[in-house]
Amino acid sequence: MTAKPKLKPVGTHPAPAPTVVGAQPVVTTAAPLRQPVAPRGDDLKGSLRILTCGSVDDGKSTLLGRLLWDASDLYDDQRTTIERSGKRAGDGVSPDFSLLVDGLVAEREQGITIDIAWRYFDTATRRIVVIDSPGHEQYTRNMASGASHADAAIMLVDARSGLKRQTRRHAAILQLVGLKRVVLAVNKMDLVDWSQDEFRAIESDFHDLAWACGFEAAVVVPVAAPSGDNVARRSDKMPWYKGPTLLEHLESLPSRTADARGPFRLAVQTVLRDGRDFRGLAGTISAGEIKVGDTIVDGLSGQRARVARIVTMDRDLKSASVGQAVTIQPDRDLDVARGVVLSSPGSEPVAASDISARLVWMSETPFDARSGYLVRTATDLVPVADMAITARLDLEALETRPADACAVNDIADARIRLGRAAALDLFKNEPETGSFLLVDAVSGATLAGGVVTKAGRDGGVVADDAFRLTRDVLARGICRDLGTSESDREEFQRRARETAILLRAAGVDVRLEI
Amino acid sequence: MTAPLSHLDLLEAEAIHIFREAAAQFRKPVLLYSIGKDSTVLLHLARKAFWPQKPPFPLLHVDTTWKFRDMIAFRDKTVRDFGLDLIVHTNEDGRARGINPIDHTPSVYTDIMKTQGLKQALDTHGFDAAFGGARRDEEASRAKERVFSFRAAGHRWDPRRQRPEMWRLLNGRLDANETVRVFPLSNWTERDVWRYILREKLDVVPLYFAAPRPTVERNGQLLVLDDARMPLASGETPVVRSVRFRTLGCWPLTACVPSTAADLASVVAETLDASTSERQGRLIDHDQAGAMEKKKQEGYF
Repeated sequence: MTAKPKLKPVGTHPAPAPTVVGAQPVVTTAAPLRQPVAPRGDDLKGSLRILTCGSVDDGKSTLLGRLLWDASDLYDDQRTTIERSGKRAGDGVSPDFSLLVDGLVAEREQGITIDIAWRYFDTATRRIVVIDSPGHEQYTRNMASGASHADAAIMLVDARSGLKRQTRRHAAILQLVGLKRVVLAVNKMDLVDWSQDEFRAIESDFHDLAWACGFEAAVVVPVAAPSGDNVARRSDKMPWYKGPTLLEHLESLPSRTADARGPFRLAVQTVLRDGRDFRGLAGTISAGEIKVGDTIVDGLSGQRARVARIVTMDRDLKSASVGQAVTIQPDRDLDVARGVVLSSPGSEPVAASDISARLVWMSETPFDARSGYLVRTATDLVPVADMAITARLDLEALETRPADACAVNDIADARIRLGRAAALDLFKNEPETGSFLLVDAVSGATLAGGVVTKAGRDGGVVADDAFRLTRDVLARGICRDLGTSESDREEFQRRARETAILLRAAGVDVRLEI
Repeated sequence: MTAPLSHLDLLEAEAIHIFREAAAQFRKPVLLYSIGKDSTVLLHLARKAFWPQKPPFPLLHVDTTWKFRDMIAFRDKTVRDFGLDLIVHTNEDGRARGINPIDHTPSVYTDIMKTQGLKQALDTHGFDAAFGGARRDEEASRAKERVFSFRAAGHRWDPRRQRPEMWRLLNGRLDANETVRVFPLSNWTERDVWRYILREKLDVVPLYFAAPRPTVERNGQLLVLDDARMPLASGETPVVRSVRFRTLGCWPLTACVPSTAADLASVVAETLDASTSERQGRLIDHDQAGAMEKKKQEGYF
């Protein structure tokens, strides 16, 4: 099922070709090499947050350090520190680029990255935020938390060892938090003599993985971090590689909030008053756009109003879209407070009291059905009435297995009944209003992050958009020749499962109800 | 379609979002106002977050009594102009013991007059959350800081006890004796702060602009004499130089740079061109290795 990428020659056009988004991995054409220059004065046109994941052994800190060294606006004193770090190696001095990324004292002493670290640099057109996450198995939680803030990910492998179990685990975590733009950097190419064959084998493996995880733009770049080959500078050691350098690829990805499609969502954070007659609903637009005159709905109470004003301190706006923090004044008094999600009519979030969710468990304290839990949604905090773990993801086999327990660094499926309804979406449709934190009611600690996979109202009306393969549908069609004998009933079950498998393979979300 | 947001638009929206979350979740927040450019941006964003309401929290300035006179004048004017509540706190015990940045090492002085002073003020007023202008780009240990940074009893920061943050969700539910520092500028860089000041046409303390000032050179750093409290070494004579500050703090501990950038546009141009990071000018950070991380664990901002 995997398509090999079509490799295009390096372009000389100033603008990179847009990334083609689709089910299969694509390679973008490369932007020309550019001298790193700190842009002056004005705003940069957008921002891109990139997660880096890989283990220390893969040379991740060095790769990142090298990227910052080559492509960013580092200060001279930072450069001096790095140059002084240089150790004599053979006839030359090789600076330790990893010092640009490794932070805490504890971490420097242990020689490992223990927490996510944030770095910032500017290219000619945009802000790039690098979220550096640790690669060790026990830090799944940090990686999941880092990935949740990212627009794209760089995965890293050692050219000598290729994809490891850990790489697959990382891919599963990226998939969990909904990250779809993933680039694989195959590092230490110098240690395999810049071998095209070694690279192609890894590239092929990665494309299989990318396809399985639903990554949209899966680019693979051969690099050597200490020497900077194909990091920001095109390597002359690998003339067979015609794709973009790592930096070129990063620059070609779309910016945050570039897409305002989808239904309008604003989770009300607070209600603002001016002491006279002004009463405004303040929040950040997490999807879609809104104009003065549009109808807004509170899905929980069903109340409606029109937008009278969109207020900011600078000026009133005629319209606002995803990413903007605004205050909406409705044309009539809406009895709403923090926790309400405003939407456009007809596309409201679910007033959910019964949800299925996939969790990444981040606390050292394992799940305990007797504990008091709270669910923190975009702006609501709701008590959990009842909660059960239903399955756990086996990170080796990447399969879910039935389970009723989960502990730190586990990825698990859970069924949660809320003490009252909260406005929630399915994560795959609306990530910001379809995700939540599970909170310990007593200590306040954040125990897990969750994504909503099904959201039901009281009484069990399920609001997922899975295709329901029911007994009726099957009996009327593919199984209409079957009777009620033991063997026919078995054949009915077999056909039902086969149909579901085929539909799932074709990308249809199926729920078997027989 | 609205035009895509620029990186400053995104940073502004994110900061407003954080202000609103914190104000909604915490019982008694306060904004730590240190008068410098970061505080100026922080305050501006706080005003935007709650407009047309006033920010629903007071400002707190921990006054070491060694701030530049221009800073105090600017502070008082700002508070007056915007009609804000200001709490000024000085560690009176430290003042009585004569702790000062000239006779004591920077780490001792900073601990007593700034860190202890801050803790006293937070405890006295019972603030459970304090907004600060710290940025992740400032220093290596801050690169890992959370937006909601939790402090155990005694305001201690333990890197291993910080809560994971996911998506835009912020969990501010506190345990007994826990307090939190909130950092709306987490994802800003020094350059962003200046770009934003320029874009929003914000007033800043005049010390950021070049002017002829009486200076002495010590240990390769240029210091401005703000009053007569610092004795000169033999052979030291104040020289009037055209200088400005990239960062502001207690005057005997804050070095300036030679500059002729006398207005906002030229300061921003100079900053975007700068070849050294701003903390270079802060003498306290060079005191010992891992200095900032140690100070943070003890409760420094």
